[in-house]
Amino acid sequence: MTNSKTNATPSSKTNATPNSKTNAMIKWVKNNMFICIVILIYVFLMAIAPKISLHGIKNSGYYIKEMFMIMPVIFVLTALLDTWIPKETIMKVLGKESKRKGVIFSFILGSVSAGPIYAAFPLCGMLLNKGASIRNIVIILSSWAVVKIPMLLNEAKFLGTKFMALRWLLTISAILIFSWVMAQIIKEDDMVVQRRDNKKGLYINRDACMGCSICSKLYSEVFNMENKKASVIHQIEMDYEKLKHAIKSCPVSAIEYHD
Amino acid sequence: MDVFTLAIWIATAVLLGFSFYKDKEKTISALKKALSMGRGMALSIFGVIFAIGLILAIIPPETIADIVGKQNVLVATVAAAAFGTVTLIPAFIAFPLIGTLAGAGVGIMPSVAFLTTLTMVGVVTFPLEKKQFGTKFTIVRNGLSFIFAIVIALMMGVIL
Repeated sequence: MTNSKTNATPSSKTNATPNSKTNAMIKWVKNNMFICIVILIYVFLMAIAPKISLHGIKNSGYYIKEMFMIMPVIFVLTALLDTWIPKETIMKVLGKESKRKGVIFSFILGSVSAGPIYAAFPLCGMLLNKGASIRNIVIILSSWAVVKIPMLLNEAKFLGTKFMALRWLLTISAILIFSWVMAQIIKEDDMVVQRRDNKKGLYINRDACMGCSICSKLYSEVFNMENKKASVIHQIEMDYEKLKHAIKSCPVSAIEYHD
Repeated sequence: MDVFTLAIWIATAVLLGFSFYKDKEKTISALKKALSMGRGMALSIFGVIFAIGLILAIIPPETIADIVGKQNVLVATVAAAAFGTVTLIPAFIAFPLIGTLAGAGVGIMPSVAFLTTLTMVGVVTFPLEKKQFGTKFTIVRNGLSFIFAIVIALMMGVIL
């Protein structure tokens, strides 16, 4: 996936020969390796031990229901917050300068959440892009996972209030410590949202790009989908209004342009 | 649907209505963004879900409890933590399970370790997290969560 650079070769999507179709398929499999492997294991088990395979599908049913109950609303909420909350506000509330208030706010945000930890990923990704600090992102993610209020109620019911309270206290302390440690280890350049101020021209952060293809729809002369990621076809004589629109529309802010 | 999920739905609906009232075009483009975000993540999420289903079919939680229960406390704690990282189990299955685990004489430490890594550390969600935050962040977050899960478990064992 890393061998294709952003300033890539001319588009090849217009002449869809059978050969390019198989290429596209190989690319698709490469980009969706995980689910392909999972499907293969299911098929394999279906042949040798159909009971396990069917049991696995039955188990997945619960998680699919859980996912549909939370993910659609998380996506809409993330997009709405992204649209209406200015970068400055996020930086003030959750940024590096937010100090203790930011930490407390992050804990509250994570604790009143719902759904499994992956539901926090798109929301936290958006907050990170808008200037939230790494420490606060780690706090939100971790408290989203372990200190959710509905979960605590359940825990008290099955394991006792004393157990719950003690675990809650220890977990909060642990999160406070290791979020700080993480902020020391992880620097902003390690994150997928990298600042590329010193580079000129059009740049797509391929680690951040999630292949939504909005940019290629808005400005197909410049952007092309390649390996399920956006890439730049050529960048001469661009319509800057259209380009600006495409850059603004990227849900993960992966496109950057510098004169 | 628990109260919190419901609250998020209601809050989002109110926000959406307000957003529509203020700027129709912006709202529509936000909804399009949401849709493309969903499309971008959908296949990966389904991969994660079906992987969890499969893992639970191959090693059911009861088997895990059985294996962990036969070890000495320290080995059991680390083993329980390791089992917990592999998969995600909903709280309503996890808590009764841990209740029986603790009751069966395994002790509190392995139970707590299992409970913490269960939700906080995710091997199956690794590809999703990596896509969003990068490899280094994902490795460090999961690694530190794992270590602290064991620390929390040991402290709980000492105190309780």
